[in-house]
Amino acid sequence: MMHQIEQFYEQLRHEGIIFSFSGPVSQSLLEGIGETLRQKMNLEETSTSVTQKVFSIFVELMQNVINYSAEKGVIGGEEQDLSLGVLIIGKQENHFYIQCGNYITQDQKGPLAEKLNKIKSMDKDELKRYYKQQRRKDPAEQSKGAGLGFIEMARKASQPIQFSILPTSTEKDFFVVTAII
Amino acid sequence: MEVFFREKTKSTPRIHFDPEKHRLEISGESYPENSAKFYSPMLQWLEAYLQQLSNEDIHMDIELIYFNSSSSKVFMNFFDLLEEAAGKGVSVEIRWKYHPDNDIAQECGEEFQEDLQQVAFHLVEL
Repeated sequence: MMHQIEQFYEQLRHEGIIFSFSGPVSQSLLEGIGETLRQKMNLEETSTSVTQKVFSIFVELMQNVINYSAEKGVIGGEEQDLSLGVLIIGKQENHFYIQCGNYITQDQKGPLAEKLNKIKSMDKDELKRYYKQQRRKDPAEQSKGAGLGFIEMARKASQPIQFSILPTSTEKDFFVVTAII
Repeated sequence: MEVFFREKTKSTPRIHFDPEKHRLEISGESYPENSAKFYSPMLQWLEAYLQQLSNEDIHMDIELIYFNSSSSKVFMNFFDLLEEAAGKGVSVEIRWKYHPDNDIAQECGEEFQEDLQQVAFHLVEL
């Protein structure tokens, strides 16, 4: 890898990737990348509305990794309160896209797929109603967020959000979500 | 009752609630890591404030450039407390301020407005 970094960089650039990040995700990292992302979009005279949508999906995805990634930083054999994941933000054919991935446990898999399939089948009006209904509901007990993140993303994206849950050689699965703005 | 104040940070808004003047102000951005935890003291303050209120009118100014989905839930909860007070006869005016080029902030304000009946919820373009 050490000698391939230039190739790696050029490949990312060639594919229209603006940001790529892999490793431990924290709130302060999110704030830093988020600010730079807004600056970059501003310089390129992206409309406020598109910038807001990209920023919003970015925040929801990063906070999902922080709250739900099943891969944690380990020091001396002990799991720390630090979540790992991967994120790329790019632009293709005039559309921004954000792709995010992290490991999930077998327990997370079923409810996650169910929730995302439900959201995927909804049009914008149904999403709005579902969002408002969930917003007034008490949060699920093990949920650290409000359970609104994916609905919010689907409402901000210009196409239905795509997701896949990939089996790995470990007992954990790999969860990938892609949003096109 | 004491003033409730929080300085603005990158991911949390400036909050200034004055119980003497009955003015509540929130401005900035809201995407803390844990919205429920961050806003819990603010909601507690509001509940205590509403309980000791006698006959005064409440004015609220809120200007949010961006807020994440978990903050949205907290704000709904917040407005519902004001809605409940308004239902008991307290006059509550909420001014939702937004910049003309921020369609999303406007839309978010409209969606809160649709869900509130008792409070006077106004959209104010800056």
